[in-house]
Amino acid sequence: MMKTHSRRSLLLVNAVIFLLLLVLIGRLAYLMIGRADYYSQKIQDMHERERSIKAERGIIYDRNGNILASNRPVCTISVIYSQMTDREQVIQVLSDELGLGEEEVRKKVEKVSSREKIKSNVDKEIGDRIREYGLDGVMIDEDYKRYYPYGELASKVLGFTGADNQGIIGLEVYYESTLKGTDGKILTLTNAKGIEMENEAENRIEPAAGASLYTSLDVNIQEYVQQACEKALEAKNAKRVGMIVMNPQNGEIYAMANVPEFDLNEPYTLNIETEGELTQEKKTELLNTMWRNFCISDTYEPGSAFKIVTAASALEAGTVTRNSQFYCPGYKNVEDRIIHCHNRSGHGAETFVDGIKNSCNPVFMEIGERTGIKNLYQTFRKLGLFSKTGIDVPGESSSIMHKEENVGAVELATISFGQSFQITPMQLLTAVSTVINGGTKITPHFGVRTVSADGENIRVLSYKEEKNCVSKETSETMKDVLEQVVASGSGNKAYLEGFRIGGKTATSEKLPRKSGKYIASFVGFAPADNPEVIAIVMIDEPEGTYYGGTIATPVVSEVYANILPYLGIKKQETKVAFD
Amino acid sequence: MAKVGREKEGTWESYDYSLLFLTIFLACFGLVMIYSSSSYIAEIKYKDAAYFLKRQGIAIVLGSIAMLVISRVDYRVFLKPLPWKGINLTAVFYVFALLLQLYTLFFGIKINEARRWISLGPLGTIQPSELTKVAVILFVADLIYKRAKILERMRGFVYIILFVSPAIALIGKENMSTALVIMGITFVMCFVASRKKAYFFGCAGAAVGGIIAIINSGWRSKRVEIWRNVETSEKAFQIRQGLYAIASGGLFGTGLGESMQKLGFIPEAYNDMIFTVICEELGLVGASAVILLFLLLILRIFKIAINTNDLFGAMICTGVMAHISIQVIMNVLVVTNSIPSTGIPLPLISYGGSSVIFLLMEMGIVLNISRNVGRSQMAALNRNR
Repeated sequence: MMKTHSRRSLLLVNAVIFLLLLVLIGRLAYLMIGRADYYSQKIQDMHERERSIKAERGIIYDRNGNILASNRPVCTISVIYSQMTDREQVIQVLSDELGLGEEEVRKKVEKVSSREKIKSNVDKEIGDRIREYGLDGVMIDEDYKRYYPYGELASKVLGFTGADNQGIIGLEVYYESTLKGTDGKILTLTNAKGIEMENEAENRIEPAAGASLYTSLDVNIQEYVQQACEKALEAKNAKRVGMIVMNPQNGEIYAMANVPEFDLNEPYTLNIETEGELTQEKKTELLNTMWRNFCISDTYEPGSAFKIVTAASALEAGTVTRNSQFYCPGYKNVEDRIIHCHNRSGHGAETFVDGIKNSCNPVFMEIGERTGIKNLYQTFRKLGLFSKTGIDVPGESSSIMHKEENVGAVELATISFGQSFQITPMQLLTAVSTVINGGTKITPHFGVRTVSADGENIRVLSYKEEKNCVSKETSETMKDVLEQVVASGSGNKAYLEGFRIGGKTATSEKLPRKSGKYIASFVGFAPADNPEVIAIVMIDEPEGTYYGGTIATPVVSEVYANILPYLGIKKQETKVAFD
Repeated sequence: MAKVGREKEGTWESYDYSLLFLTIFLACFGLVMIYSSSSYIAEIKYKDAAYFLKRQGIAIVLGSIAMLVISRVDYRVFLKPLPWKGINLTAVFYVFALLLQLYTLFFGIKINEARRWISLGPLGTIQPSELTKVAVILFVADLIYKRAKILERMRGFVYIILFVSPAIALIGKENMSTALVIMGITFVMCFVASRKKAYFFGCAGAAVGGIIAIINSGWRSKRVEIWRNVETSEKAFQIRQGLYAIASGGLFGTGLGESMQKLGFIPEAYNDMIFTVICEELGLVGASAVILLFLLLILRIFKIAINTNDLFGAMICTGVMAHISIQVIMNVLVVTNSIPSTGIPLPLISYGGSSVIFLLMEMGIVLNISRNVGRSQMAALNRNR
């Protein structure tokens, strides 16, 4: 029989066990409820602190398979304090090979931390050399760095990537999820006593490379375009020159230049000279300006090039025909004010066609008045001037238009020749494309298809198209009239022997008026009867002569001289109609 | 007084079916959790998600058979005197265990830097220290049974400790935590048996004081270092991952099989760290339920201990109870990083064949004692008649 005192002791022992178990439940409750938020943060940190293997980012190609953006293998060198056996040698080798100061390396090597990064973006050759020393506790993790073989080519369109290989601007951002891929992980295991487990292969989750992007860009066209823009920029000492070359039938963009461009491999180096030390704020501002794709991000008053849209709207509304008669005395009275033509002595009697060829403002004010704001806006809306184009790069601006109910006679008059509202060059190009391609509104774009890393999964990108935004007849008339503008009108400097080119010039005075700052521009397409390519160029703040017809038109003409044969557009007999 | 025949081997009415059920339930729950926590790793390492489940399943079946057989064999067979003077089976068993430990120390197999296993050829490996725990419980119970009075003085306690010290020394070299468990079991058994308590409190006080002094003295053992810097130390990887698992559980857990941390983050999650996966998947509610199940198990053994009329049986129950509760408490203390880490499996649940087989055998002895309870109660009834 168990003695009474033993029973009592046993009861005491049980009470102690009971209490301890209660304490344990309390401890668990504290960890699981009280500290849940703290640990969930830690868990997140941990997942980030696991050694990750970066996934190879997808490659960006041009339409002919030329690589526009790819990856270069680089290494990240780090040290693990507890695993190093000969610290002095580690310091010696790393400072020599990486070209770092001995003190700097020593500080990191001798820091008691689980893992200390010494240097990242080290060339693979140097990483391999360090690996050959076989130093304990030195980790060399392979990594990729984005590399742009063409440097400055289409920099603002392609964009670049940041420290974590994520897109910062341009296509790199827009197609981030396609290009990015999935990062892998390496987990090193230790048991409860902290001994690294032997025979336990590093738990490795392989990364999955991102898909490649095939774009409609053409390296050769882009190079011609960029050179032509740079030439104009220099010749006119302009602030900037932008140009877009597109297929007006389907919206594929062959080239988009925003000169001055910058080197994609050095995206944080300013492309302009600066005086003195810059504040961080100022530098960020300058960088943002440098990275800005103004073809899509900035709006401007389109000026006379917009007369294409006004004319098409009037034809659609049936308020004018080719042969409608006008008279230009050099000005027009609108309500209480006089609005002049650029030709102050007047163009005299003109037909509708003459009005466009002469870019005559009174003719267009008259057309606007006859058509009315309701009809104009109806066509504008169909041509996409009230919405973004939907282009596949980030940062697109919206247009700034008058509200229909606020448009008075003066506004109507100025809208008719392209003033008092703002759109982006991309919007204008899209609208004009719609007018001349038979009436189909296209979505301008770069991305054509994505191809998975193993080449098996091909996705052809499709874009929205809206048919019959203007009628076939309007389209035919406009193509013919615009060809005459180049053949014998204000756009005659775009004339190119053997090619049928249509287009319209523009000279827009920047706000505030009378500041003497202009944007000279030209929209032109070829062949005029069946357009396969359309281009817009805009020279911002040229010095000296600032007329679009004088300085912008030759830029397009020069580019066309190179790219039309390149695109396989056959020479044909041109209609030189000096009628 | 009616004579109760020993050959009748007690009564089945008093056989503690609750204890049997609890034991088997916990072991089967362990199987579920082992499968949950190991299938991912098992698939990777052995191309068989059920690798650990199968091995543990076999151990539990073998252990259960042994438990049922042992529960039918009168435990007092251990007390039968052998031809040599003063020697009985407990002593033989204990010496055998010591020899096995000695053998392990020299010819054992090293796994994870520790030499704790003996190879049985194609049958796998066993961990003799699990057997030694049973041997020590029986041996100490016998010592106390025979010389209950000596514990009234501290000298008697020291005498018992001296007998147990070879086992502690042999195990302690390779497996400090099991040695600690054996010390704890011995301590609790002596404490319960002794009429005088003062020197036990003295000893316990001195031990606690000593530990605190050591930790604060500036002397840093690697483990204390890891324990204190669990968030940053590279070596605290497993404990840290375990804490993350526990904290991910919340009130109701992520659901059975839904643990993230078992996916390679907690090394050997099915082993000593299995409780963290229980916490993550079943939440505070599930984890508390498991702890309460152990409490129930302990209370059943407690009830058998105080109801038996045999001191030897009562001491065995006390030893088994101490064994289970010490391991449960230490295991949960370790995984919650409440004490420096030391490898102690969660009884009946953690993966490990030796551990579960010998524990089931211990439960077999306790079940046999429970039948004896009935006999003594009947004897009492008969007496009163």
